[in-house]
Amino acid sequence: MAMDCHATQEMLTEIGGEIERLDQAAQHHLEVCPGCREVAAAEFALGRIFSEAIPPADPAIERSVLAHLGPARIRRRVVAFLPVAASLLVALLGAALVGGVPGGGMAAFLPGWSAQGWMALVTGASDWSVAVAAGARATAATLDPAMLAGAGLLSFLGLVAVAVTALRWRKVSPWRNDD
Amino acid sequence: MAVTEKTPPLTDEKLVELALDGDEEAFGLLVRRYQRRLTAFLSQLVGDLELARELSQEAFVRAWSALARFDPKYRFSTWLFRIAHNLGIDQLRRRRLKTVSLYRTDAEGAEVEVVVPDTEKDPLGHLENHALASELRQVIEELRPEYRELVLLRHFAGLSYQEIADFKEMPLGTVKNKLFRAHSVLRKALAEFL
Repeated sequence: MAMDCHATQEMLTEIGGEIERLDQAAQHHLEVCPGCREVAAAEFALGRIFSEAIPPADPAIERSVLAHLGPARIRRRVVAFLPVAASLLVALLGAALVGGVPGGGMAAFLPGWSAQGWMALVTGASDWSVAVAAGARATAATLDPAMLAGAGLLSFLGLVAVAVTALRWRKVSPWRNDD
Repeated sequence: MAVTEKTPPLTDEKLVELALDGDEEAFGLLVRRYQRRLTAFLSQLVGDLELARELSQEAFVRAWSALARFDPKYRFSTWLFRIAHNLGIDQLRRRRLKTVSLYRTDAEGAEVEVVVPDTEKDPLGHLENHALASELRQVIEELRPEYRELVLLRHFAGLSYQEIADFKEMPLGTVKNKLFRAHSVLRKALAEFL
C-alpha cells in the first residue's frame, strides 16, 4: 500500500494533480486513499500557483530580438567563416612546408642550420614575402623525408577541410536572404 | 515559405529549419513561444525581472547567432534554456558586487563613471496575493539548490520531466524522485495557500 501511495503521489506531482491523467490503477488507488486524494488536491493548487507566478509576456522582447537579428546574422556568417579560414591557413602552411611557395631563392645560400645562415635569412629578407618564401624553402631544405610527407598530408587535409567547411558555411549563411 | 500567425502551429524543429533558411518570422514565432517561460525562469534565477528580460533578449539573439550549430537530435527548448541558464549564471557571478557601472558626462564634457546601487525588480511582484508571493519567494529560496533548479526548470521554464532530464543530463527517474521530494517541501511550506 505504501508503495502504491508513493508511485501515485509521484505521478500526481508530475501531472500537476490532474487526476484524469492518471492511469486506471492509480485512479483506483485514489478512490480508496484519502492521503493521496489530499496530495492530488494540493498538487492541483500548487500547479495553479506556479502558473500565476509566471510574469506576463512582454511584447517588447520580441520586437527587440527581431531588431537584433540582422546584425546577428552578419556576425553568424563571419564566425561561420572562421573554420574555412583556419583550414585555408593549414593548407597553406602545409604547402609552404613542402616548399611550394614561389619567389625568393635564399634557401640555396643557407648554410644548413648555422646561426650565420639564419641571420643571413633575417637580414637578407627585405620584405615579408621574400622572408616567407625563403623561410619555406629553408624549412623544406632542412626537413627529412618523413616530415615532408607529413607536410604534404597536412596540406592535403587542409584542402579537404576547406572544402568541407566551405560547404557547411554556404549552408549556414544563406545568401538568398540577404537584405 | 513565409510563416505567419495564421499558419497552423509548427513544431520547434520545423521553425528552426525555416529560421536556418533565414526566415526571421519563423524565429519570431519561437521567440513568442518561449519568451514568457524564458523570462520567468531567468527572473527566478537572477532574482530581477528587468534583468531577466534583458537576458532573455540576449539568449534569443545568441540562439539565432548559433542556430547553425544547433543539433536537431536535441530539443530546441533544452538548448535554448541552456543558453539562458549559462547567461544567468554568468550574470550572477558578475553581480556579486551588487552594483552597476554607468557613465555620465560631467560639466566639462568628460566621461566619468558613476556607481549606483543595483535596483532589483521582484519577479513575483505581479501576484496580487502579496502574502503568497512572499511565502513562495521564501520557500523557493530555501529549497536545496538541487531541488530549486529542478523546480525552476519545471514550473518557470515549463520543461517536461524528460526535457529536464536532457537538460541536466540526469536519469529520468532521478528527476522524478527529486521533484517529488521538492514538492513535498513546497506542499508543506505553502499549505495555507493550497
